[in-house]
Amino acid sequence: MSQSLRPYLHVRSSLTAALTISNFASQASERHNTPQVEARDSPELLLNPLHISRNENEKVFIEPSRNSVRVSIRIKQADEIEHILVHKFTRFLTQRAESFFILRRKPVEGFDISFLITNFHTEKMLTHKLIDFVIEFMEEVDKEISEMKLFLNARARFVAESFLTPFD
Amino acid sequence: MSQLNYRTINIDALDPESSTNFPMESLLPANLPQAASASDAASAATQVRQMLRGGDPEGALQTVLDTAPLGGDDRAKEVHLATVIDVLQGIRQGEMTRILEGVCSGDGGAERADCLMKYLYKGMSSSASGSGAQSPKKSVSPQATGFSQIQARNLGEGGGGQQMSVLLSWHEKLVEIAGTGSIVRVMTDRRTV
Amino acid sequence: MTTPQVHHLFHAPIADHSFSTDKQTLAVARENNVELYQQSGNKFALSDELKGHEKTVTSVDIAPNSGRIVTCSQDRNAYVWEKTPSGWKPTLVLLRINRAATFVRWSPSEQKFAVGSGARVIAVCYFEEENDWWISKHLKKPIRSTITTLAWHPNSVLLAAGSTDSHARVFSSFIKGIDTRPEPSAWGERLPFNTICGEYLNDTAGWIQGVAFSPSGNALAFTGHDSSVTVVYPSAPEQPPRAMLNISTRMLPLNSLIWNGETEIIAAGHDCEPFRFRGDENGWQLAGSLENKAGDAGGAREESALNMFRQMDLKGQASADTKLKSTHQNTVNTIRVHEEANGAVSSFSTSGVDGRVVVWSA
Repeated sequence: MSQSLRPYLHVRSSLTAALTISNFASQASERHNTPQVEARDSPELLLNPLHISRNENEKVFIEPSRNSVRVSIRIKQADEIEHILVHKFTRFLTQRAESFFILRRKPVEGFDISFLITNFHTEKMLTHKLIDFVIEFMEEVDKEISEMKLFLNARARFVAESFLTPFD
Repeated sequence: MSQLNYRTINIDALDPESSTNFPMESLLPANLPQAASASDAASAATQVRQMLRGGDPEGALQTVLDTAPLGGDDRAKEVHLATVIDVLQGIRQGEMTRILEGVCSGDGGAERADCLMKYLYKGMSSSASGSGAQSPKKSVSPQATGFSQIQARNLGEGGGGQQMSVLLSWHEKLVEIAGTGSIVRVMTDRRTV
Repeated sequence: MTTPQVHHLFHAPIADHSFSTDKQTLAVARENNVELYQQSGNKFALSDELKGHEKTVTSVDIAPNSGRIVTCSQDRNAYVWEKTPSGWKPTLVLLRINRAATFVRWSPSEQKFAVGSGARVIAVCYFEEENDWWISKHLKKPIRSTITTLAWHPNSVLLAAGSTDSHARVFSSFIKGIDTRPEPSAWGERLPFNTICGEYLNDTAGWIQGVAFSPSGNALAFTGHDSSVTVVYPSAPEQPPRAMLNISTRMLPLNSLIWNGETEIIAAGHDCEPFRFRGDENGWQLAGSLENKAGDAGGAREESALNMFRQMDLKGQASADTKLKSTHQNTVNTIRVHEEANGAVSSFSTSGVDGRVVVWSA
């Protein structure tokens, strides 16, 4: 167990450190309160971003700021089938972003899916539970993709076989 | 002039008083060491590699962290990063905890821990973005799949897995010793490595 | 150590809280309003609401002697509330700022108060008899970003401010006709308005989250977003400080701090529990948590992460850890002195994002 779950521990500690955010009104526009990591209007309110990568194709990118954190995930894609599956899967989720609260409609460039966590989320929900969610998502999506791939292969074999049976 | 689309001009960028033009250099402390050049970093690298070969990994790690070019140019920083990664890869898994405890204790130990944390994150980010262009593209299927929305991408396990796992296990050990506070300081510290 | 008194008021973040001198009234900033609670028995019951702000109230302070309440909000306004027979009456303060007001505190003399803002100014406000108005004077230079926190020196002239430009600064807010000329101190001798008596930056930068003068006023402590606490001992006017001690911790950043005597600091923040620091000019260190539980917090967290994964394997158990071990269940925003005598704190209060106000014995 430990070996496969290890990388998620790194994400956990990095996310814990990044999710130290608080309510902060915009200092660029009057009476506004926008996520700084998206508005990017004051460089001093953005912190150094962090990369956690297992290899070139599996990585997590954390962009912290004063009142929001953007977490982007690149999901493992070992071959083209997995690539298609990841594409379809993340598209399905992002189309329904409003019911996921922290999901961003469009992933950050170079990644498959992005979350935007603001101070309003950490106020309503427990921070460590939010982190649990992100980590569980990472675990589940890997599992989901490999399951779908297995299913696809099994289905392909079944179809091929049933096509061949009449000519027996 | 009439071609210019005035609506797309970011007027905040033109106002020296606007928050977009925050002077980032004001976040650097006054005691920042002199800018190191790439040749300085290279000479430090030779010294460190000698120590590593001489069977003193703890000393090598300590030296390489103490000589980090916080004020150097990008080239010097890159050379130094390569040295740090060499040192980290040169230390056996079993020795990590012992060496880390040695390096992160004593005078300036906390700074060394923070510095190492910076290098771990930098190591993970640089090869993640850098080697993508270098490694030859592996084409998995010989035929076109017909999916036009899929751009040509680097498939497969991806390079750098070996190096990443070394960095990740260092990261895990270092978090145990230096805590999440150290990660917070990687984010806030503007003296990048 | 006695158990802390927990008052769980509601399920919304408390940006700031303040007790009246007799500790019977508690004012908390909740969203766009300030709510006043009266003590009845062991509990605090809602007694009044101060409505008037249009955006999130960021800070509230009750003046200990006059009982006046000052509030400020992200709608750029500040109000002074006075109790009249027909209820609380607000007076708008002429802040002249065009961004959110972030922090407000009465000076110990209660003649003035200071409002920090996102417009990169601190408005020092005082009452003008002729016009029957609270008007303000701006401390401007060299602030480069939003002011996050303020603290008054006991002499009511010096004002410490922390900002997201990672600098903690000490200003003079001397206003002719209001203040008496202060005694010369290590911070400065002649102190016209907007004199900068000190400007401090940590090596690891990080937004300043909390500042506080020691009870004597001869030392300044501030916490930054780099998870550190820094204590500064000034030497003489215009001179570099005698000592500037930085204690970097392995915890998450601390949001707010108070002094207990000259040799102890209590701070709390994103770790949801208060921590004690002890030391003097020769060095400071972390003395531990004030939470009533044994063991090292950092180690426990790593372990609980592992446990959690084990529980998640068994499914259904994942919801077992929705309660934190600490008294506060979310980030602590404010820590304030509750009872003290000659600078020695006997109890203090904290409030946080979880909607709780907790009174601790120090």
